[in-house]
Amino acid sequence: MNESREPTVESDDAGQAFRCTNCSSSWYYTRGRCLDCGSSSFETYRLGPGRVVATTTVHATPPGVRTPNHLGLVRFDDGVSLIAQLESSGVSVGESVGFGEIVTLREGDATSIGPQLTTE
Amino acid sequence: MDVSITGVGMTRFESDAQASTLELAERVAWDALEDAEIDSSAVESVHVGNMAAEALDSRTGLENAVCGALGIEGATADRIENTSASGASALLRAVDAIRAGRSRTALVVGVETMSSVDTDTATDVISSLTHDREYVQGLTLPSFAGLAADAYLERYDADREALAAVAVKNHRNATVNPYAQFQKEVTLDEALKSPPVAEPLRLYDCCPTSDGAAAVVLTADGDGEVQLSAIEGATGSHAVAERADPLEIESVALAGERAMARASISHEDVDVACIHDAFTILELLELEELGFYDNGQAWRATLDGRTDRGGELPVNPGGGLKARGHPLGATGVSQVIELVWQLRGDAPGEGRQLDDPDVGLAINVAGFGNNSICTIVKRA
Ligand SMILES: [Zn+2]
Repeated sequence: MNESREPTVESDDAGQAFRCTNCSSSWYYTRGRCLDCGSSSFETYRLGPGRVVATTTVHATPPGVRTPNHLGLVRFDDGVSLIAQLESSGVSVGESVGFGEIVTLREGDATSIGPQLTTE
Repeated sequence: MDVSITGVGMTRFESDAQASTLELAERVAWDALEDAEIDSSAVESVHVGNMAAEALDSRTGLENAVCGALGIEGATADRIENTSASGASALLRAVDAIRAGRSRTALVVGVETMSSVDTDTATDVISSLTHDREYVQGLTLPSFAGLAADAYLERYDADREALAAVAVKNHRNATVNPYAQFQKEVTLDEALKSPPVAEPLRLYDCCPTSDGAAAVVLTADGDGEVQLSAIEGATGSHAVAERADPLEIESVALAGERAMARASISHEDVDVACIHDAFTILELLELEELGFYDNGQAWRATLDGRTDRGGELPVNPGGGLKARGHPLGATGVSQVIELVWQLRGDAPGEGRQLDDPDVGLAINVAGFGNNSICTIVKRA
């Protein structure tokens, strides 16, 4: 169990959420079916800007993760919320952020790349 | 059916116990059987709570190794995994086994050895409980706690003293607990100035990694001094960000509500509580989710000393996860042992015994609220 977990989501899709093609319900945290209607037919879409609900800067990070790791809890339209890396510190609660440049999120046996959140 | 807790056994929690998972489990199992004054041959079911012995100590089949070591034959036995609430989950299964008539004498062992791997490995094993899309972001348990603490301080206009007060109290309680990992006081100033871990949380806002084990013996229709009145679990969201409110831990609220209903008690009846304070913010959030304090009020109660050993509701008189230590699978069982000691009136340690408590409540939380188990014990 020393090897790191291989993500089941293509990690460069970290800026994308899922939308059910049957009932239009949206979610971020990968699952095989829509929880609202049970459909397994869904599409991905790029998340627009969201609002920062809380932030933290983590100083003790797991292997392969930058130190310090700036994180934001962010709410988007359609009720989607997520926790993701912020490009830099100094982002305040209430600010608007969106997904920017693709960077390395986590190095390991299966290195994950994806966009970080930025105030741009 | 009445379920009695007739015996308890526990190791001191330590950063390195220099013993294997099995050795710790074996030790506390014997202690609990001795305390219950029964032979191992009387045990009909064995329920081992453990998160990750295969990853942290190269051990599988722990339940069978425990039976072998104790000479328990022909019992029903398994290992229960529910991350940091594995201990209370094992207890829940034991109570179910007794209520179902499958077992008349159940042995519950919670155990974890975290010192046999390096910190990086331990961190990676623990963060493997997260959702894949949380994992790629490098999220750890302290990350969730840091975000919740940030939201709490912001919403309720509190400062870091609100958090540090929890650490100071729990460390003070642990100074006289011979089973605690840290038996030393921490001042508010030391807590506030300790190194940042997941801002606004500092080192003293976070529980340590620990080795340790705890065991209890349950009997059906027993005439034990302590009855296990209720034990109820509830799952919550897996991905933490999917909660409607970052200060909500729905699994805690639901498990607490169910357990209090089953035990037919109200908040005023609870004389002592063991709360899953893996982080100081969690003690505050859980006290509010359980309904002991209104939202945004638990920090004031803590600062006012109302959750001190001599306060209206003593919270974590044994030092909590913060200072007693947090050997994952052992924690839920150790919380209940603290309650048993307090109810029996034999809490080990100078001046640690509370004044005649009748009812105790414990909440053990998996991950950052993925799943919670609430236990209520009463003096018979
Ligand atoms: Zn749908």
